[in-house]
Amino acid sequence: MGHDTAEWVMVGVIIAILLYVGVDSWVVQKEVEEVPADAETVKVIGQQWFWSFEHQDGTKEVNTLHLKKGHAYNFEIYGKDVMHSFNIPDWVVFEDVVPGHVNHAWFAPDQVGEFPIQCREYCGLLHYNMRGSLVVEDTP
Amino acid sequence: MVLELKKPRPIWQIMFSTHHTDVGLLYLVTGLAFLFMAGVLAMLIRTHLFFPGQNFLISDSVTFNRIFTVHGLTMLFLFALPVANGIGNYLVPIMVRYKDMAYPKLNAIAFWMNPIGGALLWLGFSDTSWVSYAPYSVLRAPGPAADMMIFGLKILGISSILSSINFIVTILKCKHPDLPLRKVPLFAWSMLTVSLMTLVAMPSYAAALIMLLTDRLGVSGFFNPTAGGDPIAYLHLFWFTFHPEVYIFLLPAIGMMYELIPRFARKPLFSQGSGVFAFVMLGMIGFASWGHHMYSTGMDFTTKVVFMIGTLAAVPASGMHVFNFLATMWGGRIKFAAPMKFAVGGIALFFSAGAGGVLNSAMPLDFISHGTYWVVGHMHLFLTGTIAFGFVGMVYYIFPFITGRMYNEKLANIHFIMMLWGTVQVFFTQHLLGLEGMPRRVYDYPAEYSSWVELNQIATVGAWILGGGFVAFLINLLYYSSKGKEANMDDPFGIGGKYYYPHTAKNPHHVGY
Amino acid sequence: MSHTDEPILRTSPARFGKLMAILIGIMVVGGVIFFANYDYWNSYLPTAGKIQEEGTEHKVAQGTATGKTIEVNANFVESSDFKTYAFNALSGSDRNPEINAHVGDKIVFHVKNAGKSFHAFGVTASKEGPGPVIDGTAVGTADNPLKPGKGGDATFVASAPGEYYYICVVPGHRELGMEGKIEITAAGAATESTAAEVKPTGNKVEFTMSFEMSNDFKTYAFNALSGPDSNPDIKVKSGDTVTIHVKNPTKSFHAFGVVSDVDNPQSVIWNSAVATPDNPLKPGKDGDVTFVAGAPGTYHYICTVPGHATLGMQGKFIVQ
Repeated sequence: MGHDTAEWVMVGVIIAILLYVGVDSWVVQKEVEEVPADAETVKVIGQQWFWSFEHQDGTKEVNTLHLKKGHAYNFEIYGKDVMHSFNIPDWVVFEDVVPGHVNHAWFAPDQVGEFPIQCREYCGLLHYNMRGSLVVEDTP
Repeated sequence: MVLELKKPRPIWQIMFSTHHTDVGLLYLVTGLAFLFMAGVLAMLIRTHLFFPGQNFLISDSVTFNRIFTVHGLTMLFLFALPVANGIGNYLVPIMVRYKDMAYPKLNAIAFWMNPIGGALLWLGFSDTSWVSYAPYSVLRAPGPAADMMIFGLKILGISSILSSINFIVTILKCKHPDLPLRKVPLFAWSMLTVSLMTLVAMPSYAAALIMLLTDRLGVSGFFNPTAGGDPIAYLHLFWFTFHPEVYIFLLPAIGMMYELIPRFARKPLFSQGSGVFAFVMLGMIGFASWGHHMYSTGMDFTTKVVFMIGTLAAVPASGMHVFNFLATMWGGRIKFAAPMKFAVGGIALFFSAGAGGVLNSAMPLDFISHGTYWVVGHMHLFLTGTIAFGFVGMVYYIFPFITGRMYNEKLANIHFIMMLWGTVQVFFTQHLLGLEGMPRRVYDYPAEYSSWVELNQIATVGAWILGGGFVAFLINLLYYSSKGKEANMDDPFGIGGKYYYPHTAKNPHHVGY
Repeated sequence: MSHTDEPILRTSPARFGKLMAILIGIMVVGGVIFFANYDYWNSYLPTAGKIQEEGTEHKVAQGTATGKTIEVNANFVESSDFKTYAFNALSGSDRNPEINAHVGDKIVFHVKNAGKSFHAFGVTASKEGPGPVIDGTAVGTADNPLKPGKGGDATFVASAPGEYYYICVVPGHRELGMEGKIEITAAGAATESTAAEVKPTGNKVEFTMSFEMSNDFKTYAFNALSGPDSNPDIKVKSGDTVTIHVKNPTKSFHAFGVVSDVDNPQSVIWNSAVATPDNPLKPGKDGDVTFVAGAPGTYHYICTVPGHATLGMQGKFIVQ
C-alpha cells in the first residue's frame, strides 16, 4: 500500500490549494459586495442594443456616462427586453441585466479617463455593437 | 471474442441492425460526420474574426449568431454524446461479458433519434446560442428555427435517456455473474456513472424546453417577465442539467483513457479502486455546482459561496484521475502509438483546463472571466483538449478492430502534432483574450483594441492548424479504412504480452484492490 | 485469442464507398432543403414577442401628395469606433439635414446604408424612441435591417403640420445621433403645388376678374394695370365652390383659367376655364365658371391665351 501515500499527498495538496482559493474568494467577495453608504445611485437601463443611464438628480445619458473620480457609485441595473450584462471591464463592474429584476454593482473610480462599457451576455443581432463609454472626470 | 459478426452483411442491414457493434458503429460514424460539419462552422467563425470590421467572411451578424449556435449544439449533442455512446455500445457488453446491450431494439431506436434531432437542428439553424437563454429565446428568437431547435433537442434528450437506461441495466443487471462490479473495467464504470447522472439531470432540461416552447407560443409565462415569469428560472433549470452534463461529456473520455493508458504503458492500472471512487464522487458532486454559471445574475452572497464550495469539491476527483494515469505510466515501457499520444496529450490539456477553471470558480475572479473569451478557452480546453483527444485516441485504437486495417501512423503523428499545437495556440490565447475583456458571441470587435486584434489573429492561425490536424484525421479515416495495411488482429499495435483487447492483466491481483 | 481460424473481415473500398455515398447524399439533400428555403427558417417572431410588440405600436397614416416633390438623400454613417452615428455626415452642416416642407409636399428619401453596421429607416412623429413609424416610410425594420451598402426609397407626405423626424429605427441609434428634423408647415408659400381634386365643402365664394390691357397692347393684367388692385391674390379654402365672373372689357381676345404651372397655359386645373385660346372671350363678352378648389397650395389664375400670362395677366390663386 506504500504507493498510495503519494496519492493521498496529491489529494492533500489539491485540497489545500482549493481551500486557499475558497477562503480568499470568500473574503474578497465579502469586501466587494459591501456597498459604501455614500454611494451615489446611477440607474442603468440595458435594452437591445444600447445603454442608457439616469443619474440621481434626474439627468439622463445615452451610451456615454459621465462620472466623477473619487466618488462611489452604485449601479441599479434594469432591463427592458432580454438579458444583457452590464460590464465596465477596466473597473471590473459586472452584473447581469435581467428583465423583471433589479441588480446592483458598485465601484469607485480613482482614475480619470475614458473606459469602454460593453455587453457581456448574448442578446441578439447587435450584441457586439452594444458598446458605450464611461468618462471619469476630475472632481473640481 | 467477436467485434464483428461473421459474414460481411449489406450496409442496409447494418443500418437497421440492433446488434451492439452495429449500433456502436452507426453512432461513431454519425458522430464523426457531425464533428467535421461543426468543425467547418468553427473554421468559419475563427476566420471571420481574423479581421475586425464586419463583412470579412460572414455578411451579417444574424448568420454569425446562427453559426455559433449550431456549432455548439452539434459538437455537444451530435458529436460528444454520440461518440461516447458509440464506443460504449461497442465495448460495454464485451466488458461485462454479455452478448449485447440489455435492450437492443431500444438501442437502435435511441440511435435513430440522433439523425432526426440533428436534421431538425441543422435545418432550422436557430440563432439563440446553444444555451438559448430566456427572454431572448422566448420573445425575440425567430421561428420556425428556434421551435425546430427545441423539438430537435427534446428528441436528442429522449435518446440520451433511453441509452442511459440501456447502459445502466446492461452493466448492473446483465453483467456476467462471475464478474464483481468492482472489477468491471473503468470505461464501463464511466458509462455507468454518466448514465445515472443523465437520468437525474436530463429531466430538468426537458421540462425547461417544454416551458420555453409554451412561452414562445404565448400560452404560458414561465420565463417571460411581462407575463409574470422569471428568466432566472430558466437559468436554474438549464444549468441544473448542464453542469452535470459537462461531466457527462467528460467522463467517457476519461474512461477511454483508462483503456488506453495501461495498455500502451504495458503496466497494470495503478488503482482501479481510486478510479471507481473518483468517478462516483464526481458523479455526485457534479450536481452541487450549477450556480457557478450564474454568479452574476444577482444571487446573494451565501448562495454564491455554496456553489463555489460545490465547484471546488469536484476538483480532487479529477486530480485522482490524473494521478492514476501518471502513476500507471510511471515506470512503464510506453509504446507511443497514436492512441497513447492522444491520451497523454489529453491528460495534459485536462490538467490545464482544470487549473484555469479554478479561476472561474472563485467568485470575484469569475466577474473578470464570465461571458468573455476566457470561458471559451476554458471550455474548449476541456472539450477539444480532453474529450476530443480522448475520443480520437480511442477511435485510432479501435480502428483496426472495426476495419481490420491499420491507419497510417505517420499521418496520425502529423494529426497529433497539429491538433496539440493548434489546441494550445487557439485556446490558451483565448484565455488571454478573455482577460483583456473581449466578450463572447460577438460578430465583430473594435479595431482600436490592438491587443484584441493580435490575439484573435493568433487564435485564428491556431484554429487553422487545428483544422489541418482534423483534415489529416479525416484522410486517415477515409483512406486507410479501405486501403490501409491489413492489421495483425492479435496485436495490431505491437504492444506484446497479454494486453490486447479485452485485457487480462498478467498478474490479476494488481487489478482492483 | 489468436487461435481463431475464421476469416477476419476487413473493410473494403466498395462498402466504404457506399457508406460515404449515403452520408454525403444525406448532407447534400439536407443542404438543398435548407438553402432552397433559406428565408423561411428565420422568418417570424414568436407569438410571445408579437404580443409584446402589439402593445406598443399604433400605425400612423400619411397624407395626400398635392405639393411639390422634395428629394432627400439619407445615408446612414457611423464612426469607426461605433460611438458616433448620424445621417450624411458625422459633423458639420451636412449632418442630419433639416427638411422644411409643407403639408402635401412629397418628400422622397433615398436611403442608403453607408456605414458598416445595420440600420433601418423610418419617419415618425414621436419625439423619442424608435417609433411608431408612419406607414410607407420604412426602409428596413429593426428586426430586418439594411445591410451595409443596401438601401431603398421611402416617401413621406405629411397630412398635418408639425415636427416629424426621420430616424434610424434600430433601438438606440436615434438616441446616438441618427435623427433629423422634418418641419412641416401649413401650405402657403410654395411656388408649385400639384393640383389634386377634393370634394366640395359646400362653401361658396365668388370673384369678379376682368381682363385689362394697355392701349399699346404692351401691358396686360387683371382688374387694374398697376397698383394694389392689379392682379389681386385670390384666396380660397380647399373644397370651396368657387364662382368666377370673368369680364373682357378689352379690345383683344382672352381666356381664363386656374393653372398649376404659371408658365404653361394648358395646365388648367379643376375645370376652371372660361373660354379657351381656341375659342376665346371676344371683346366685351363675359363668362362664368364654377369649380371646386382642390388641394391646398399656391396656384395661378391666368389668361390662357399663349403669352398673355407672361406679359402680366397672372395672379396668385391660393388654396388654403
